[in-house]
Amino acid sequence: MRKSKWLLMFIMVLAVASTLAACGDEEASSEGDSEDVTLKFWTFGATNYEELAKEYEKENPGVTVEVKTSENADHHNSLFTALSAGTGAPDLAMVEIDQLDRFKEAQDRFVNLYELGAEEIQGNYLDWKWQIGENNENDFLFGLPTDIGPKVMFYRTDLFEKSGLPTNPDEVQNMIGSKNDLIQAGETIKEETGKPLVDSMEMVYRAVIDGATESYYDEEGNLLVEEEGNAVKEAYDLAVEFNEHGLVGSYEMWSPEWGDAVNGGDFAIEMGAAWLKGWMSDNAPDAEDQFRVAKLPEEFAGNWGGSYITIPGETDDKEEAYKFVKWLTSPDNQLNSFKSDAGLFPSTPEVYDREEFKEIEDDYFGGQKTSQYFADAATDISFVYKGSKYIPTQDEVLNALQNVYDGADPDKEWEAAVQRMKDVSKR
Amino acid sequence: MKRSRKYRSEETKDKISAYLYISPFFIIFAIIGLYPAIFSIFLAFQKWNGLGEMEFVGLQNFSVVLQDPTFWKSLYNTIIMGILGTAPQIIVGIILAFILNQAFLKFRNTFRAMIFLPYITSMVAVALVFGVFFSSNETALANYTLQLFGIDPVNWKTSEWGAKIAISIMVFWRWIGYNTIIYLAGLQSIPKDLYEAARIDGANVFQQLRYITIPLLKPFIILTVFFSTVGALQLFTEPTVFLGSSAFSRTEAMTVVMYLYRDAFSLQSFGTGSATAVILLAIIVIASAVNTYLSSGIRKRKKGMRT
Amino acid sequence: MRKVKAGRFFVYVFLIIASFLSLFPFYWMFVMATRPSAAYNSMPPTMTPGTQLVENFQKVLDKIPFFGAMLNTLILCLVVTLVVLLISSLAGFAFAKFKFPGKNVLFVAILLTMVIPPQLGLIPQYFLVAEFGLLDTLIGAMVIFFLNPLGIFLMRQYISQSVSDELIEAAKLDGCSNFRIFCSIVLPIILPAFATLGIIVFTATWGEFLWQFTVLRDPDMYTIQVALSSMNTTSNVDFGMLLSGVFWATIPLVIVFLMFNKLFISSITEGSVK
Repeated sequence: MRKSKWLLMFIMVLAVASTLAACGDEEASSEGDSEDVTLKFWTFGATNYEELAKEYEKENPGVTVEVKTSENADHHNSLFTALSAGTGAPDLAMVEIDQLDRFKEAQDRFVNLYELGAEEIQGNYLDWKWQIGENNENDFLFGLPTDIGPKVMFYRTDLFEKSGLPTNPDEVQNMIGSKNDLIQAGETIKEETGKPLVDSMEMVYRAVIDGATESYYDEEGNLLVEEEGNAVKEAYDLAVEFNEHGLVGSYEMWSPEWGDAVNGGDFAIEMGAAWLKGWMSDNAPDAEDQFRVAKLPEEFAGNWGGSYITIPGETDDKEEAYKFVKWLTSPDNQLNSFKSDAGLFPSTPEVYDREEFKEIEDDYFGGQKTSQYFADAATDISFVYKGSKYIPTQDEVLNALQNVYDGADPDKEWEAAVQRMKDVSKR
Repeated sequence: MKRSRKYRSEETKDKISAYLYISPFFIIFAIIGLYPAIFSIFLAFQKWNGLGEMEFVGLQNFSVVLQDPTFWKSLYNTIIMGILGTAPQIIVGIILAFILNQAFLKFRNTFRAMIFLPYITSMVAVALVFGVFFSSNETALANYTLQLFGIDPVNWKTSEWGAKIAISIMVFWRWIGYNTIIYLAGLQSIPKDLYEAARIDGANVFQQLRYITIPLLKPFIILTVFFSTVGALQLFTEPTVFLGSSAFSRTEAMTVVMYLYRDAFSLQSFGTGSATAVILLAIIVIASAVNTYLSSGIRKRKKGMRT
Repeated sequence: MRKVKAGRFFVYVFLIIASFLSLFPFYWMFVMATRPSAAYNSMPPTMTPGTQLVENFQKVLDKIPFFGAMLNTLILCLVVTLVVLLISSLAGFAFAKFKFPGKNVLFVAILLTMVIPPQLGLIPQYFLVAEFGLLDTLIGAMVIFFLNPLGIFLMRQYISQSVSDELIEAAKLDGCSNFRIFCSIVLPIILPAFATLGIIVFTATWGEFLWQFTVLRDPDMYTIQVALSSMNTTSNVDFGMLLSGVFWATIPLVIVFLMFNKLFISSITEGSVK
């Protein structure tokens, strides 16, 4: 009995002492040379920024870039907490396009990149992309653009072939030039193979909403969904229509089942953005050489995702941080990011004309030269205001669509969703 | 306790000791517990998005929350899942602990370890495993098993009862070992000779359970009822990880804490989030008082034991 | 006699079913840790281990600093557990065996500390930890777990029930100081409760994610849950690898539990001899 008591005490003392010691070490080592600069850089998702950071370190002795990658939601929440508390933010933070408006309310906690001379390089980037990175008054720039997400049609050649449809990208593009063509192709595929055209309601909904020039809110924060001609209802109706034709599958994006469905070819097309390929090449190895890329019907062209790199105001060295971002988002490096496995599509249009870019053959798509399809889609995109509650508002519509998929009445679900969106917008 | 005069200094000493012994908790509490608590209550009367200026709005946050059907839905969900997932733990936990404490039992250690194993398993693991078991696929284990009995597959994540039942099972599975082990600790504080005496008097197992175990375990039962009530009303982690990306957009299994978390971190409305927390605090105080009162009534006979 | 035997038989059947149900998901996790990613979705469900045990774990080691994160977690959990045991047993002793003004009010105050949803405290607590310069340190990651009302409740209850007042009186008459009574009389008696609380606190701290994710940003400082979650991103759904990481991260806990369990059991038998 006595022994175990002393053992306990001993462990207690040991543990406390060892932590204190460990923490002490940490303090000592972090001081280091005052000449050197360490930049903390938070990213999310699949990027090649870690490799690029290493390259930058080599070219710029004395600069260390510490890259930290987290899951999308965790990353943005963590950044939000740090900014809200006013301490603990990194020197550089990647922010996704749909999330950016939420952070714009903390303008005083970011470095205005215009103060560091960003207007010099404005011409390198797509106008709409640049504009979203600004505040409403266009005098404050939150971040430099990284990638964009021009949408194309990834289609399964095996399913198309089985259904007696053409498999060559040009022929596919000619065959599917409108919404009705798409529905018709879907019906054929369903008849011949029994498989749905698209994976989920969300994909159909996004086909319209990602290309709309106006979404849930105006710049004053008014909810627009009930206004005549607003794209949200149109997108909703389209998803309902596809569902009524039985063309929609039950694979919710990012779920393991969805991963399997992509890998195994359980649905025929994905209306996705360039970065999707980064995910597919990692997680859907069996689908290699099965997908090809074609242009989407004009009405469904749009942008999905893409990011910015911001410099939170707490940084000790905004000049060095800016130098690195400028380098990282330069046309040359955006091209590098596109060529890497991450497949991040450049927001610098000058790149689209380079031979080097046009000639990229993508082994994942059976050696198809895909870059031009994305580039064509990229030039069709225009500015859209999203607002700080973009994501939770959109979730309410997706929610309703899920219920419709499960058998609920579309009109009732729409009314309920509008009510919930109103509640969200009032918060 | 009668004390003569010469012990008076002893009494003062006792007081000093007592204050000294409880001080570590209150010092730490004052530093890291009190400030967040006061801050939350303060925020309940402000409009704040977490980044900009705060604005005093009086009771408006409370009226927004109390008029929101989603709030009432989340309260309903929380209570239902509390009844389905948490309440059975108390009963099954007592039975398990009683059995595991029997002297005749072989492999007692092994059984005890196995019952406790789920609590050890990390939340990430539980989420992944249960997420796959209860996927709406026909090949998923839960639906596969249902089909063996000729029942149609269920949408475990999006249907009203499917989500609640799946989460309740997960909560039960994960926490049953925790309650059992607290009861086991309680059973160990019961002197063994009491059972001995009862057995000599000819009491059978059920009589022992009824007249010795439950009355003496009562303080521990009250303890777990209290903590389970609080735990059930604060249910957050299990549904959040189980539902994954749809956790904060769907309402089938949204709990009150998820509702306030969504307000604060997804809708950036810290005022209404904090107001919900204050309302929840009141609910918890009332519910735990009622439950504790009810559970302390289960066995009135005390047989002159000290509590 | 036959009735007793039948009763015991049912007890064993009940326990075996209960053990099976609690063990099964864990076993399944092990099976998945030994198989390629797609195995989880096969029809009928896969139930036997495969051959990729080492391979999957190797992938985990390539992806995250597994052992470093384990060490961090171990240190963190040990310190939290010991601090909570110390604070709780001292306070529990005071609440169980001493009379002092404000006792009930203070006890209720402890009760109230736990009804504030911890998720809402996130920002103010983060702010405090940041102010003290404790971001990215293990101390910062552990400090909020020192507050554990359950520990005080459990200890108070256990001490008031198992340590008799006569014993304390007797020790006092022998001239023992209060602290000496705590060390040499109370502590030995409450070892089973220590084991119980120890297991609960240790495992709860081990599984904690949200706070540690918020406070720890430096990968060298990651705890195992934070490291594992960095593996579980949308850009990766290698299920075999994921469950391999989760499985191996649970094994040390099982060992710790078995150790505590031993302490737990041995203190029971000692108690019954007395």
